[in-house]
Order: sequence, then C-alpha cells, then structure tokens
Amino acid sequence: MGFFSQARLITSRDLVRERRSGEVLWVTLPFGAIALLLVPMAIGTDAPLLEQVGTGLFWAIVMLFGVLISIRQTTGETQAQRDQLALTGIDAAAIYIGRATASFVLLVIFEVVLGLVTIVLYDVPVSGWWLVPILITIVAAGLSLLGTLAASIVSTGRNAAALVPLLVAPLSIPLLIGATQALEVLDLGGSSLAWVLMMIVSTLVLAVAGVLSARPLQEI
Amino acid sequence: MISDEPLIHLASVSVRAGATHILRDLDLDVRAGEALGVHGANGAGKTTLLRLAATLIRPSSGSGTVLGASLNSESRYDVRHRIGYVGHVPGLYPELTLRENLEFTADAHSIDHTAVASALDMVGLGAASDRQADRCSHGMQRRAEFARVLMTTPAVLLLDEPHSALDADAVDLVDAIVERTTASGGAAVLVSHDRERVSRVADRFVEISAGGVA
Amino acid sequence: MTDPTPTSTSTTWPWIVMAVAGLVTFVASMTVSPDAVQGQLSRIMYVHVPSAWLAYLAFIVTMAASAMYLWKRDLKWDRRAAASAEIGVVFTGMALGLGMIWAKPTWGVWWTWDARLTLTSIMFFIYLGYLALRRTTDDLDVRARRAAILGVLAVVQVPLVHFSVEWWRTLHQPATLLRPEGPEMATSMLVTLLIAVMAFTVMYVAMMFKRIELGRLEDAVLIAEQASDGAVAGAAVTTPTIGRGTA
Repeated sequence: MGFFSQARLITSRDLVRERRSGEVLWVTLPFGAIALLLVPMAIGTDAPLLEQVGTGLFWAIVMLFGVLISIRQTTGETQAQRDQLALTGIDAAAIYIGRATASFVLLVIFEVVLGLVTIVLYDVPVSGWWLVPILITIVAAGLSLLGTLAASIVSTGRNAAALVPLLVAPLSIPLLIGATQALEVLDLGGSSLAWVLMMIVSTLVLAVAGVLSARPLQEI
Repeated sequence: MISDEPLIHLASVSVRAGATHILRDLDLDVRAGEALGVHGANGAGKTTLLRLAATLIRPSSGSGTVLGASLNSESRYDVRHRIGYVGHVPGLYPELTLRENLEFTADAHSIDHTAVASALDMVGLGAASDRQADRCSHGMQRRAEFARVLMTTPAVLLLDEPHSALDADAVDLVDAIVERTTASGGAAVLVSHDRERVSRVADRFVEISAGGVA
Repeated sequence: MTDPTPTSTSTTWPWIVMAVAGLVTFVASMTVSPDAVQGQLSRIMYVHVPSAWLAYLAFIVTMAASAMYLWKRDLKWDRRAAASAEIGVVFTGMALGLGMIWAKPTWGVWWTWDARLTLTSIMFFIYLGYLALRRTTDDLDVRARRAAILGVLAVVQVPLVHFSVEWWRTLHQPATLLRPEGPEMATSMLVTLLIAVMAFTVMYVAMMFKRIELGRLEDAVLIAEQASDGAVAGAAVTTPTIGRGTA
C-alpha cells in the first residue's frame, strides 16, 4: 500500500469517526460561535467598532478554537489504539499527513461557518472575496499540520490536552498575522503576495517537520 | 523453506521506564510452530515483554529480532503487519462498527473485505458486525480483536490474558487461533495467569520474575 | 545515552562569579553619569538590555543543544538545553518586566506593540511551553526526545514569527513615541552598557554550570526514587497479606 493510500485511509477513518461523534460540528463549532457572540457583550455593541474588529476577531477565534479541532484525534487516542495502529504497518508519516488532512477538512468547514456568523453578527464588509478562500485554505492547512505535530509531541503525557494549545498558539502567529494583514493590505490597495507566500512557507515547514519527526514520535 | 532461526529472539534485553528496569537481561527464543505460555506476578513485565516482541517498544539495551528484523533497526517497521497482538485492553475505535474497525485493518493489510465478514462469523459476531464498538461489551470487543488476528493471519501472535472477559463459548476460540498460527509455521506467545487453560495449547512455559526469565 | 553521574553541588566558583558579575554591573551602572534626558531612569537600561541579550543567547543555546541531543541521543545535551531554556525564561521575564517599568514613565504606556517587544513576549510563551512540556513525563529519555523536537521546531518557526511580526510592525507604525535609545549614546554610557552585557554573559555561563550540575542531581534523584522499590519494577509487588496467600 502506497504512502498516499495509507494517508487517505487514515483521513477517511478520522472523518467517519467525526461524523459519528459530531465533536467538531456539534461542540467545537457552536463554542466558537458563542465566542463571537460574547465579545460584543464585553466590548459593547457599537456597530462601527464591531465592523472594524470583526475580521481580526474571526481569525483570532479560528486560531484559538481551531487548535481544539486539530489535536482531538491524537490527544484522545488510547495506548491500545496506538498499538493496533502501529501494527497495521501504516507509515508514521502517512498517519501524520492523513490525520492533518482530516483536520484540514474539518477546519475549512469550521472557518466557513464561523466566517458567515462573523459577517452576520458584525456586519463585516467582505472585501477581497477572491483572497478569502485562499487564506482559509492556507490557515486550515497550517493549523492542522501544527496541531497534529504538537499533539504528537505531547502525546499522552500529563496535562496533554491542556498543554497542546499553549504550544500551538505562539507558533501559529505567522498564520494569524498573515491572514489578517493580507486582507488589510488589499484594502489599502497593496499586494498581499508577500503575506500569502510567508504563510505558505510556514505551512510547508510544518509539513516537513511533522513528516521527519513522525517515526521518532511514534515510539514514545 | 524452513529455517532454524527463531521467530522471536531476545538476547540480554533490558527495558527501562525512566530508571526502573521492567525487564532486565532477558533471554528468550520462540521458534516456528511453538506456543509459549508466560506467567508472572502482577507488574512482573509480561505486557512489556509482549509489546517488546510486537516492536512497539525498543529495548533500552540488548538486542533482539522478530521475524528476522532487528528490534533496534528501521527494518522492524517492515514486519509489523505480520505481527498480531491482542492486548488486555481492546484497541477498537469506539465510533466505528466492528465491521468498520476490521475493514480499516483489512485495508491497511490489503486484504479483501470479504475476509472481514468471515472472521466476524468465526468469532460469533456475525450478527453484531454493524454495531458500534462503544455499544459492545468488553468481551465482544475482545472477540472482535481475535477476529482481527484471524483475518490478518500473523506469523507472530502475541496474546495478553487471552481468556479474560471471554465467556465459556469463546474461550476455546483462543486455542483454535493459537493452533492455526503454529500449524502454519508461526509462533504464539500467551501471557496468562490461568496456567491450566494455557497448558492446553502451550508447548512450554516460562515465568517472568526479577525482570528476566526464571 | 549516558547515565547521569550524581555529584554534589559543592562547586563554589559559579556563585563567586555570579556575585562578582552582579557587583560589577551594579557599580558600573550606578557610577556612570545619568542620561541627560531620562536622568536616573536610564540606569534601568544597564540591566534591561543585558537581560534581553541573555534571553536571546539562552534560546539559541537551547535550540543548538536540542539539535545535538537528537543527533547524539546523550542526556547531557538535554540537560544543557533545559538549563538554558530555564535561564532564558527568567531573563526574558526580567527584560519584559524592566522594559515595562522603564516604558511607563518614558513613553507613558506599559506596553507598546513594537516588533522586538512583541517577538520577545512570544518567545517567552514558546519557552514557557517548552518547560511545561518537560513536566509531562518522568521518563528521562522520553522527556528529552519530546523537548528536543519542540526545541528544533521552535528553530524553524521562530524566524517566521520574527519576520511576520517585523512586517506587521512596518505596516502599523506606532504613534510618535520617544525611542529608548536617544539619537546618540554618550561614550561613557556605551562603555557601561558593554561592561554590563559582558558581566551578564559571564553570569549566564556560571548559571548554566550550576543549573546543569543541579539537573544532573535532579535526574539522579528521579532515578533513585524510581528504583527505591527494588531495582526491577515487578519486585515492588508482593503476595497480599490477606486471603489464601498468607496460608
């Protein structure tokens, strides 16, 4: 079985599990939406202000809550499940890529739904409509690769599920700044290319780091 | 081709968790066609021995081979699909049905899905195959794990407390699976407290104590 | 891997070095004439700038030592990486704290979104996470490997964080604030600053020595605790004292 068939097998397993458990769609997604609802209650319902902070807030919430999506399969795995998975002979790197791909799909859905909620609640004008899908895609890819990698590093140690977001959040800053600034530059009439390229480089670095460390991390 | 090379060969292997030795200078050979029973007190390192033979952990010192692959080299990844391990805790995915769990393994092994149904039938779970694993009892989940090793026909079979949680109907299943493995030139290791039960299939016994084979 | 050799922490020279370095910094920074504009406040600089320098130095050492561990699989590199990260977090915290104390009277705010300041605070959290990760397991080899992989991941990701923050700041020029460095620094102040930076670097070396020594002892204690039940894990389990076992 080739590398990509193995990765695809992992992706479809994760997505079927998610469809049955509904953790992302029925728990994490509403949680993110509530966060968008809470902020105006804290800072005031001043329409121009909300319109101004809406886009940035959307990305910040995607980063903070998206972490929960990208780590859920790895931190929730039992020792027995990890043993059985290892004995299927599936390459550890294929497991990494397969898992990240499943998280990527879920993160795209998460971003799209939260994006619509942001537009409705904050009356955010959608400028650069052609750029938004690109940013959503790169952020989902980068965050899923980063979360999956951080979750495999922490593995099943003490406080694992609580620690991973602390590791992921500071390292996700290039994605956060890139996504927000790419749109802002566009509004100011500039080119977003540099930001998009930086996000792509960041994502590729994470993919390579995850693939290279997959086998050493499987044993611990 | 018959080789005298043992399927599992451990030479003065130690496994440490932190600084504590779980296994210390352990020597063990298990040959083709052989079924080995392993005894030992709670915490003696029996499960660690099985996970070591399954290539899931690496020796802290010493050397060993399983199916010819060194436990310390990358080649151990290549023999993993020929190792069957049934741990004392089932490792099924709770959201997937028993059939889907086995199909996942079948896909990874490039085994046709028809083998899944017949394996579940053999362990008496044919009628429950579309039930989600988290709605199955512990004993049913263990049966499903036995179905998995029936399907993948491993050359090295490692069973941790195989009789626990199985009802009277199902305990004979263990003997049958072990016999199938040894008859086809494989080897089996059974960790158990139930010496009487295991003695029905085991060719010999070893006891783990003080981290080694007594 | 090599087993850590328990030694005592009786070496005294690092303490003396630290004391001398601290004294040198104190005397130098208190005797130099104060800045014409900022007055006595400028003396904070002689601790703030060397602290920030040490923070960066310490994290670079952590990254290098992590890579060395992954290559050599020798726990001594892990102890070096950990010692440096811990010292780095302390000095980052100090640099940030002193920076805020200095900024309030000078700029009128505790915090400004200056690129270097932002990056320093992010690194503080990255290495706080690194230290938290080290607490998740008692298995020395497992701990070393997890920490080293994070240490190396930070190597590849921190430059990207650096660039993104740098670009971000270029886009959002801060409101006109007085920069801490005046147009030109008096020679006497520059010399004092250099003395302080050197003294802090020497102090870092002495602290590393002490911390690694302590790390070796900590590992030895962990090993002794785990082994105190008997050299083999199974030896800790004996026959129950009630039931048939006692017959």
